[in-house]
Amino acid sequence: MKVLILGGNGMLGPWAVKAMKDQHDILLTDINDPYPEYKGEFQKLSVDDVDGVVKAAEGMDVIVNLSVLRPHRQLAFDVNTMGNYAMMVAAREHRIKRVITTGPHFQMVGQQYEEWDFDLNPDMPPAPGTRLYAHTKALGQEICRVFSERHGIQVITLLYYNMKHSWNLGGPEAPPAYHEDMVPFSTAWQDCGTAVQAAVEVAEDRLASKNEAFFIFPDLPHRKHDNEKTRRVLGWKPRYQVEALWNKEHRQPPSGLHEAF
Amino acid sequence: MNLLITSAASATAQLIANELSDTHTLRLTDLPENASGNIVANELGHESETDDLVAGIDAIVNIGYQGQTGSSPHLIDYHTRRTYNLLQAASDAGVKRYINISTLRLYQDHEENLVVTERWRSDPPAEDTELLAAHMAEYVCKEFARDRLIQVANLRLGWPFDSTAADDTATVSSGLIGAAIEEALISKQLIQWQDIHIQSPVAHQRFITNTAAKLLPGLAVRLSS
Repeated sequence: MKVLILGGNGMLGPWAVKAMKDQHDILLTDINDPYPEYKGEFQKLSVDDVDGVVKAAEGMDVIVNLSVLRPHRQLAFDVNTMGNYAMMVAAREHRIKRVITTGPHFQMVGQQYEEWDFDLNPDMPPAPGTRLYAHTKALGQEICRVFSERHGIQVITLLYYNMKHSWNLGGPEAPPAYHEDMVPFSTAWQDCGTAVQAAVEVAEDRLASKNEAFFIFPDLPHRKHDNEKTRRVLGWKPRYQVEALWNKEHRQPPSGLHEAF
Repeated sequence: MNLLITSAASATAQLIANELSDTHTLRLTDLPENASGNIVANELGHESETDDLVAGIDAIVNIGYQGQTGSSPHLIDYHTRRTYNLLQAASDAGVKRYINISTLRLYQDHEENLVVTERWRSDPPAEDTELLAAHMAEYVCKEFARDRLIQVANLRLGWPFDSTAADDTATVSSGLIGAAIEEALISKQLIQWQDIHIQSPVAHQRFITNTAAKLLPGLAVRLSS
C-alpha cells in the first residue's frame, strides 16, 4: 500500500517506518528533516497546512498521523487538532478509506478515569479534561469521528503512554527504575511501531465500526487498562513484556520446585 | 453583572447585546479585524491580553456559532484554540459562569417527527464547517466544566431568528434569546455542564423546551404561550 506518514520524524516515526518499510511504499513528511538513516521518499510538510496535506495525500491508500506537540499552546492546537482536521479533509478529498491517528491514552482516559477506575478500555467515551496535550489530541480525535461518521472513512486511533527502550526499559525522559512498579501503560518502542503496521494492515472485516480505538501496551498485571481488544482485533503481538518494571527481583524458592505446589 | 460578549461584531452578538444592555454592564470583544467602535480588539491568545480581557467579569456570553466568518481552518482554530484560551483565562480569573451560544442546527439532520431533547447526541455534519466548529466549541467548554473549572450553560438556539414563516418550525425570537440568557445567568438549578434547548413556541414546534422551562423558570410563560 501507499502510506503517507505525517509527522514522521518524531520519536515514534522511525519505529513505524522500520516496521512497515519492507511491505509498503512510504512517503514520510515532517516539518523537520528526516533522520540520516532514512533512505525513502521525504517531503517537508507541516501537518497543519491543510492544502499541503491534501496535496501530499493524492494517490495514497492510507494516511498515518504521528505528529505531536505538547507544551506550546498555539502549536499544540495547530499540530494536535488542526493536523487531524487536515488529514480528514485530505482523506475526504481523495476518497482515502483508512487513516491512522495516534496520541496519548489520556486523550480518552482523563484524570478522573485514571485516578478512580480500573479495567479502562478504549471503547469508553473520551473524557480528556483540560490538560493541554490531552485536550488538543482529543479534539483531533473528535474531528476524526465526525468525518468518519459522515464520509465512511475508517479511523483507527492508537493510544500510547509510556514508551520504553527495549534494551534497558528506560524512557526518553527518565532513567530505568527496575522492580519499583511502573506506569501501567508502558510499551517498548519496537512494539509501538509494529502496532502502526498492524493498524495499517488489519482487515476491514475485523473492525466493528468505522471508528475504532486501541490501547497499545503489552500484557500487564495491574488491570488498570485493558489491551484485550488490541490483541484480538489487530492481532498485535508485542515482543517486549517489560517484566523487570513490575516484577520483584528474582527469588529462588527454598524447595527448588519453583513453587510448583 | 459585568458581562463579556465575544464575537461582538456578529449579528448574533449584536442581538444579544441589545437585549442585555439595559440590565448589565457589557464589555464587547472581537478579533482585531472585526472590532470597531466600542468593541475591544482581542486575539484571544494565550498571553496576558486575554487575562486582562476577563478581569472583573462576572460571566461570559460566548458566541459559539456563526460569530466568525472566514476559512475552515480559521473557524476550527477560533472555536478550539481561542475558545480554550478564553476559558483558561476565565477559569484563572474566577469567572463563575460561561454561557455558550450554540445552535439546534446540530440536530438538523434528525427527522422532525423525533422528540429531540438534550438527551440526544448531536450530529454535526463534517462538510459544514460552521456547524463542526460549533460542535468543537461545545467540546472545549464541556471539558472545562468536567474539570470543574467553570460552570457552563450551553444554550442551543433554534433557527432562524425572528421568523414568522410557517415552515420555520425551529425559529426563536430575539426576546426569548435575551430572556434565556438572563435566566441562565442567575439560575441556581444548573449543573456544571448544562445543555438547554431554546426555541419559540410555534405551530408544529420542532424542539421541545421542557428543560428550559424547568431550569429557567422565568421562561416558562414565554415558552408555553
